[in-house]
Amino acid sequence: MDTFNAALDFLLGLIFQAFRWAPGLGLAVISAAAGVGMLWVFQKTSNQAKIRAVKRLVQAHLLELRIYQDEPAVMWRAQKSLLASNLRYMGLMLQPALIMGLPFAILLVHLDAFYGRAPLAVGAETIVSMGLGGASEPGGHPAAPLLEAPPGVAVETPAVRVVDERQVSWRIRPQAPVSGLLRIRVEGATVEKSIEAGTPGQSGPRFVPGRKVRSLWDAVWHPDEARIPTPKVDWVEIRYPDARVQWLGIRLHWLVWFIGISMLAALLLKKRFHVVL
Amino acid sequence: MRAACGVRGLLAALALVLAGCSHRATHAAGKKMIVLGLDGLDPLFLEAHWDVLPNLNRMRQTGDFKRLTTTVPPQSPVAWSTVTTGMDPGGHGVFDFVHRDPATRAPVFSMAESSPPKHTLGIGPYVIPLSSGSVTSSRVGRTFWQILDDHGIPSNVIRMPANFPPAECEADSLSGMGTPDMMGTTGTFTFFTDDPAERRTTVPAGKIVQVTVSNGRAALRIEGPPNGFRRDNATATVDLIAHPDPTEAAARFDLGGQQVVLRQGEWSEWLRADFRLLPLVKSAAGIFRIYLQQVHPHLRVYVSPVNVDPASPELPISTPASFSRQLSDSLGLFYTQGIAEETSAYRAGLLSKDEFLVQSHKILSDSLRMFRYELARFSDGLLFYYFSSTDQNAHMLWGKYDNDLLEVYRAVDGAVGEALEKAAKDTTVLVLSDHGFARFDRAVHLNTWLLREGFLALDDPGNTGDQELFAHVDWSRTQAYAMGLNGLYLNRMGRENGGIVSDSERQQVAGMIARKLLEFRDPRDGHSVVGKVYFPETAFQGRNLKAAPDMFVGYHRGYRASWQTALGAVPSTLMDDNTQGWIADHCMASDEVPGVLLANRKMRLENPQLADVTVTILSEFGVPKERGMIGQTVF
Repeated sequence: MDTFNAALDFLLGLIFQAFRWAPGLGLAVISAAAGVGMLWVFQKTSNQAKIRAVKRLVQAHLLELRIYQDEPAVMWRAQKSLLASNLRYMGLMLQPALIMGLPFAILLVHLDAFYGRAPLAVGAETIVSMGLGGASEPGGHPAAPLLEAPPGVAVETPAVRVVDERQVSWRIRPQAPVSGLLRIRVEGATVEKSIEAGTPGQSGPRFVPGRKVRSLWDAVWHPDEARIPTPKVDWVEIRYPDARVQWLGIRLHWLVWFIGISMLAALLLKKRFHVVL
Repeated sequence: MRAACGVRGLLAALALVLAGCSHRATHAAGKKMIVLGLDGLDPLFLEAHWDVLPNLNRMRQTGDFKRLTTTVPPQSPVAWSTVTTGMDPGGHGVFDFVHRDPATRAPVFSMAESSPPKHTLGIGPYVIPLSSGSVTSSRVGRTFWQILDDHGIPSNVIRMPANFPPAECEADSLSGMGTPDMMGTTGTFTFFTDDPAERRTTVPAGKIVQVTVSNGRAALRIEGPPNGFRRDNATATVDLIAHPDPTEAAARFDLGGQQVVLRQGEWSEWLRADFRLLPLVKSAAGIFRIYLQQVHPHLRVYVSPVNVDPASPELPISTPASFSRQLSDSLGLFYTQGIAEETSAYRAGLLSKDEFLVQSHKILSDSLRMFRYELARFSDGLLFYYFSSTDQNAHMLWGKYDNDLLEVYRAVDGAVGEALEKAAKDTTVLVLSDHGFARFDRAVHLNTWLLREGFLALDDPGNTGDQELFAHVDWSRTQAYAMGLNGLYLNRMGRENGGIVSDSERQQVAGMIARKLLEFRDPRDGHSVVGKVYFPETAFQGRNLKAAPDMFVGYHRGYRASWQTALGAVPSTLMDDNTQGWIADHCMASDEVPGVLLANRKMRLENPQLADVTVTILSEFGVPKERGMIGQTVF
């Protein structure tokens, strides 16, 4: 999983670096490519003949509604048929949607580290939390781990053990732009977690990993860093601010750009791919 | 000051349709004016510290400095309403922080009133409003910025007291003193603790809630607005989860997706609470701050009153309605509650003086940030900016902790310097305060005095005490009662419910009370307690006297009505030493506590009064004063 995640991040990172001067354009290229990919998968996995047929049925029922406005019985039957046809259409869409779901979900969680999170603002506080591995001892509380921050990041509080949730939190505050590693020492083990801080927009977009995890399953959804090697820690997370992607003078969440551009690309190219949506 | 009588009813108007104002291009023919309202800035304190207040001193030396005659009574909502309208209290109709309902003799908020929606639809436990509720200002008269607006002169009016809801106009304005918190009160904090020694559950303007820390976790229930969408009007709440560390003096707090980690003795930044009113349909946003006072051996957490979120206001706090969001986007979240300095928790002994100072300096810091923002974008017309810190800190520091108070004066002196820096040659700069200050050493239980003088009777003479709202008063034998900080009311036939003083007896009874008040001596040392008694018919030119007390008691410096008097209690003693943290006040005779007026040019008037400021502002832009305004220009 780590190798797959690293490979995908490497590929996306190449595009990210190539468009560092215009991250919105880079995202547009990825989104358009994803739209084309969606079309291709849709073409290969959907029953185009049945979709064509059911769409013709929908159109027929709509026509029926318009023509027979004075015939309540016909209108009622047409509405029922329209509803049934729509449900059938949605059923036909389900199979390609399910097939596309997983790869696209993986793509989205990878893209979030590139476009979804802004580095910590210099001077602004944030919370670092970790989830402890293993089971809790009844009546006891875990020993306090030690957080070491790179130069330029102040650790402002002692470790706060959240006993009932088996978590530990600290408040940190970057005092200068930083691209480094936090080190957490817990019961003889050391876990490293990347940290990114800087004035947004000044040093360009950054790859900002959010949560680092231990389990294979969690790594599917938090793929930005190699998995935690020790069973003593389940996850480590830094709370980063959300980023906005600016393109053509408009600032939006990257997912809005992604969905809009990929849909647009799919709609524009569907005839070329001979696909009925 | 926070009167314990909240304006809970204001929350019925949470569904209010916010009045928006569009902007139009205007200019004031190049004329500019900056007016700084420094609440409670005291002339005596200034005169003692000119050498360390360079900007105020510069104004005095190169411009002018006068004592400014304040209103009867010298209370902020009264005085600033006079500045706002140019009328005396008899004109604008605000006579105290609290008025009273003659039918019940219960206190009512003097600055605003609310009404619930007229038409509703009940569905199960919910009530769906079919029309809007409303919040209206109780102040009568047009504001000077509305008049300027009529003449095409732009103005920005930030935090003017007694301007909630803000007067409708084209100007950018943000409401000030009188703006409620999300509970609809003037500000109710909550103090959470698991300390069994803390047995109180309520203190003035605050609640103390016992919590249980179990397995390193405690749920702190934060109260928001009364839910007008429910038949039972149940208070909407959110749970703030506290996770104190088992051994360290630090804790994490979780609220929804937000987290904050605090060490003991630290304040949090703003947290946003979303109070669900109608599932999936309607919620109300509020903001609050946490102070982690202690972790071990007992958890002690102060939670500020839940303020209206300026980014998503549930109440009308600005004109245009989007203006508070604009400020929030530019400056971050800020206190919207009218009086945010936490004097109540300090008075209750829940915060120390140093803790109070940290909190009040946060407010001053917020205020200075907003002032600089407004000053930077000011280019034409009028900028009015109000600072509360000089007043609220003086209440707790004046005469005892002068060095701490001087720090606040120095901070606002810096703001004055920035305003002078910004001012061009043709810019008039005024700095004014609504009243001065004096020590508050002795608390006068005025209802007890009325009892002893035979003007008030109890159902049983032994039933004296701190019970509020005239709990044991026999109205069939009572001629007069006191409520508020300067007001004294006759129990009038046909006006008060069960009143006994007829119209023909009114003047005689009032005259007798006034004579005896002027003879009133402090039993401890024989000092005169009352210097002046004012009657509204002679003290005011305006005749809007419906809510006016029948007389105002003007105490000598050092004396003030007790907190118990303000809410209708009849304690057993006539007077007590004031041992609370609230050590200074101004609710005395008006001539004992004048305000100040500084200008960057010479003034013509020798003895200016507050109403002159209004006319001066209009006059600077060539706008004539309106009917009912009693002042004249100071230049």
